Amino acid sequence: MIAIIRSEWLKMRTTAVPWVMTGIALVINGLLILVYFVNHGSGGGGGGGGSSDVNTFGVPDYPHTTRQLRNLLGSGFTGYLLALLVGVLCITTEFRHKTVTTTLLVTPRRGQFVAGKLITSALLGAALAVIMLVATLVGGGLTLSAQGGSFADLLRQVPAVAPGMILVFALFAILGVGVGSLLTNQVAAIIVALGWFIIVESILVGLVNGAEKWVPTGAAIAASNLTRGMGSRFGLFNWWEGGLLILGYGLFFAVVGSLVLTRRDIT
Amino acid sequence: MPAAIEVRQLSKDFGSVRAVDDLSFEVVSGRVTGFLGPNGSGKTTTLRILLGLVSSSAGTATFGGRRYTELAHPARHVGAVLEAVSFHPSRRAEDHLKSVAIGAGIPIGRVDETLDLVGLGDVARRRVGKFSMGMRQRLQLATSLLGDPEILILDEPSNGLDPQGIQWLRTFIRHQASVGHAVLVSSHLLSEMEETVDDVVIVSHGRLVLQTTLAELAGQAGTRTGLRIRSPELPRLMPLLQAIPVAYRQVAQDTLVIDGATPEWFGPFAAQNQIVLYELVHERGSLEEVFLSLTHGFDAADPRGVGGQPAPAGYAPAGPGPSRMPGGGA
Repeated sequence: MIAIIRSEWLKMRTTAVPWVMTGIALVINGLLILVYFVNHGSGGGGGGGGSSDVNTFGVPDYPHTTRQLRNLLGSGFTGYLLALLVGVLCITTEFRHKTVTTTLLVTPRRGQFVAGKLITSALLGAALAVIMLVATLVGGGLTLSAQGGSFADLLRQVPAVAPGMILVFALFAILGVGVGSLLTNQVAAIIVALGWFIIVESILVGLVNGAEKWVPTGAAIAASNLTRGMGSRFGLFNWWEGGLLILGYGLFFAVVGSLVLTRRDIT
Repeated sequence: MPAAIEVRQLSKDFGSVRAVDDLSFEVVSGRVTGFLGPNGSGKTTTLRILLGLVSSSAGTATFGGRRYTELAHPARHVGAVLEAVSFHPSRRAEDHLKSVAIGAGIPIGRVDETLDLVGLGDVARRRVGKFSMGMRQRLQLATSLLGDPEILILDEPSNGLDPQGIQWLRTFIRHQASVGHAVLVSSHLLSEMEETVDDVVIVSHGRLVLQTTLAELAGQAGTRTGLRIRSPELPRLMPLLQAIPVAYRQVAQDTLVIDGATPEWFGPFAAQNQIVLYELVHERGSLEEVFLSLTHGFDAADPRGVGGQPAPAGYAPAGPGPSRMPGGGA
């Protein structure tokens, strides 16, 4: 299995996918940090003049509470959708470029083929989370320091935020492979995966009472250990229940996908 | 010696279409076996079933008694070049081979060796998207050779190769057999394979027509005769031939070949029907003609079978049914 994963990683890194995804992730991350500080400044109550670090009530104008710092550190959390795409692309690219035949000649057992994709994508998803966390520590930390905040305080939130974020990214990459193994048409898989998270899920949450707890996004926020304003409002699962739920979704799609793939004729 | 490849009563249905029908044949080590049949006769499907890419509806296809998916390190025992296979356009040739080598547990050193072997050493660092069709074919061949397999399966391998490439491929295939490897190579042209193969497996409509040696097939060809006729009146002649009926092939706009016919029979026949002739040649059958008559004559779906009808004097039927191949080259 290690040989398969090394082979998969070589295949991934010799395509644009991981590099473009990392680039997009860093750009989005930078924008999200910016948005965070802008919102924080305007919502901070009066100050925001730029010259003063402390507003009229003596409360620091920069993120300083545990919750604020955690939310700053988790700015890149939305990037789990990129991890999802990494998973989708990891498997559908094989079908799009007709490389799947060669891959299956090396790894003829379809379950093993899908398992290799699952593990590789999960590792790439986790790596993406680490990259975004480091970028936030650098970008967010510098901005915070410039405003008079404490970088050490931000760093102290890493143990609370990083594991959940890395877990969610890895699990969403697994979910992506699962979707891609069922829908091997790349365009269809991307539309279905993103369409679900951008459109279908919000409709579902709006129509069905209590759905937010069960949809992947709700589970992801629960697993991330971040409040993101939602956790307190809706009774979401706790972090490990949320994590198990996403893992369940991912493995369900992956198992169904490999069963379907096992029966599929590669012509 | 046990067979390197064994296909036993293999069948495959795609929906209502039976692509492979109760097909059985063997491939032995140290020989090149030509897997021959017209396009759509089930060759590719059979090869893909062998390689575990397509499931069979019935029967087995095994390597030394084991299915491809049961082999511990399949890429080290069986190398395959298939049609409709491609590469990621932005991947370099050597990276493609490395990914296969790593996945199959083959030493990385083989990558450069096989690239040199197929003559792609100079473009190892080039992205495959920039490769010509012939270069892609060579890269596929390199991929199949990475694990130095003792069994090679090649599906129409000369597609896209230039004449030098085809000559190189022939030498290469002969070399593989000479070192004791088993080679199964498919083609829709026997002429292309005449100099390469030892054994032939001929299929048509998914069924086995004949498994024999090339030498035996050539012996058959020597005894076969045909009549080449050039005439401006083919539209009038063909219905007359169908009515008899006899087997013929239209090989050009104004030319057809009647299998097994003699000038002594056809001359009076043409005179009687007042057919203008430009040319009348009595020729000995070539291997290709035997192959064509075998594969087309086997067409059981052809409603105009000759069964039971007396053959005209001087006419020796070549196959069980008349066949036409409009526009087909000889």
